[in-house]
Amino acid sequence: MPSTTSHAGRGSFGWVMGTLAGLGLLIAALPVVIILIMSFSGGTNLDFPPQSLSLRWYGAAVDVLFGEKSEGTMSAFSAMTSSLIVGLITMLASVCVCVPLSYALVRSQGRWRHLAELLFTLPIVFPLVVLGVAYLLMTEALSRETGVDLGLLRLAIPHITLALPFVLRNCLSAMSGVGVDLEEAAMSLGASPLRAILHVVVPLMKPGIMAGLIFAFIISFNEFTVTFFMYTIDVRTLPIWMYSRTVSSLDPTTLAISTLIIALDVALIAWVDKLVAGKGSLF
Amino acid sequence: MTSLHTGRLRLALLALPAVVLLLPFLLAVLFVLRFSFSGDTQVIEGFSLERYLGLLDPFFLRSVVLTLKLAALSTVICLVLAVPVAMLMASITQPIWRRVVTSLILLPMILNLLIQSYGWIMVLGPNGIINGVLLKLGLLDRPVQLLFNEIGVLVGLVQTALPLAVFPILGSMRAISTQYLEASASLGAKPWRSFRDITLPLLKPGLIGAASIVFAFNASAFAVPLLLGGRRVQTMGVAIRDMISPMFDWAGAAAAGVTLIAITLATLMAATWLSTRTTQWQGAR
Repeated sequence: MPSTTSHAGRGSFGWVMGTLAGLGLLIAALPVVIILIMSFSGGTNLDFPPQSLSLRWYGAAVDVLFGEKSEGTMSAFSAMTSSLIVGLITMLASVCVCVPLSYALVRSQGRWRHLAELLFTLPIVFPLVVLGVAYLLMTEALSRETGVDLGLLRLAIPHITLALPFVLRNCLSAMSGVGVDLEEAAMSLGASPLRAILHVVVPLMKPGIMAGLIFAFIISFNEFTVTFFMYTIDVRTLPIWMYSRTVSSLDPTTLAISTLIIALDVALIAWVDKLVAGKGSLF
Repeated sequence: MTSLHTGRLRLALLALPAVVLLLPFLLAVLFVLRFSFSGDTQVIEGFSLERYLGLLDPFFLRSVVLTLKLAALSTVICLVLAVPVAMLMASITQPIWRRVVTSLILLPMILNLLIQSYGWIMVLGPNGIINGVLLKLGLLDRPVQLLFNEIGVLVGLVQTALPLAVFPILGSMRAISTQYLEASASLGAKPWRSFRDITLPLLKPGLIGAASIVFAFNASAFAVPLLLGGRRVQTMGVAIRDMISPMFDWAGAAAAGVTLIAITLATLMAATWLSTRTTQWQGAR
């Protein structure tokens, strides 16, 4: 690995690179840090630095999310539960199909795997805006022709599309670690192929499967762009609810809710990191 | 082991559920493609290039130019920042610090775009940090407009795409052996010289890869221009959305979408071509 510190007379090189690197990290992390700090501010305005610190906005956030004012489909509570349900559907569906798929790809002889990986990676490189438009047009045409209302599936189906590439990656790397000899050993001891898979392969894949589940949930919970095209009066997620609330102005309660979401995301990612630790990267 | 024939069938059946779930995506893509050639704006009817020709009006062309400009600028800035960050990450030896820096860089990718825009509103806004500091220091007598214009969008684009640039460059950087740099230093080259003559050329594949990903990603951006541009920064993403609502020109939106796909595809293909040429050339040396 190249090191810039092992040369005599670094001079301006080290300085410039160090400053730029610091600037890069600063830009990456600044918004989150600011939100964190401001959510603890005691005042009602958003001037930095905060004059005082308090937890009042967290109280207000909990009230908004869970309190009695939170009724009906336009409320935060309903948006939050929709987010959770859609996230749940996304993660379960993605993992349930990716485990068999990864088994099939790893056990097959090479050619298909490359093609399938390419195919399932398509949603990532596809512009999110166009994906949103495409799903919207298709869903509207569907409801016009058949009168079918998809409800939460309006959101779940696009989210599954976006999660599949990542979940598949996780399952493939987990699956690659399970050698065919283990299955053969199980079968030579009398297990049917299906039992061998269920009782040997899947348990060995568990960390990768868990990582995939959590990753899919994170993707779905945080998704904004495609959901922006697909939401309706009855079906919306928490980010969309927050957007409607802050279109005119930003208030500290929203910041407190944001920090709670950030905390959730960080916790989930830390969990995934622990599961995948050392067994290759997520990306 | 089961015979090859039933093995193939079994594997195909195992792959089937996933293909079923991917189907909506493939159908949606084809649907949009078909819609873009429709004669009518609301439904798919007939076959015409009208919608594409309709894109040649100043309103849309301006958004294309703006999109390309912002994507290009953000790509350059991202690369300028990503190379030092990658160097920093490659030179860290302690695992704990490595994880801290990696997490910092990953933040923009993992977190909600909406939430991050709140952060930028507080940093870049008229009452925000930057203006506050500059006013206090007396460098300004009025707040400067950094938000709800192209500057704000540019900052947001750079931030969200930075991780996408860092990782390919980091990958390339890890492949550069320290022996090259040590050899060059022992021959008397100053760090800047080593950087220019050794590091940069060897980083080329990573740089090309990073540039293409960032450009394609930012050209397709929607949430960042929407949230940080106010109503004033009409990139292609925002223009497409305006075509859906309030304009209800669905077929036009489809055509615009296909155009956007074409641009991102062209970028990625150009990058692949460029990088194969570079490696061929390097291999021939």
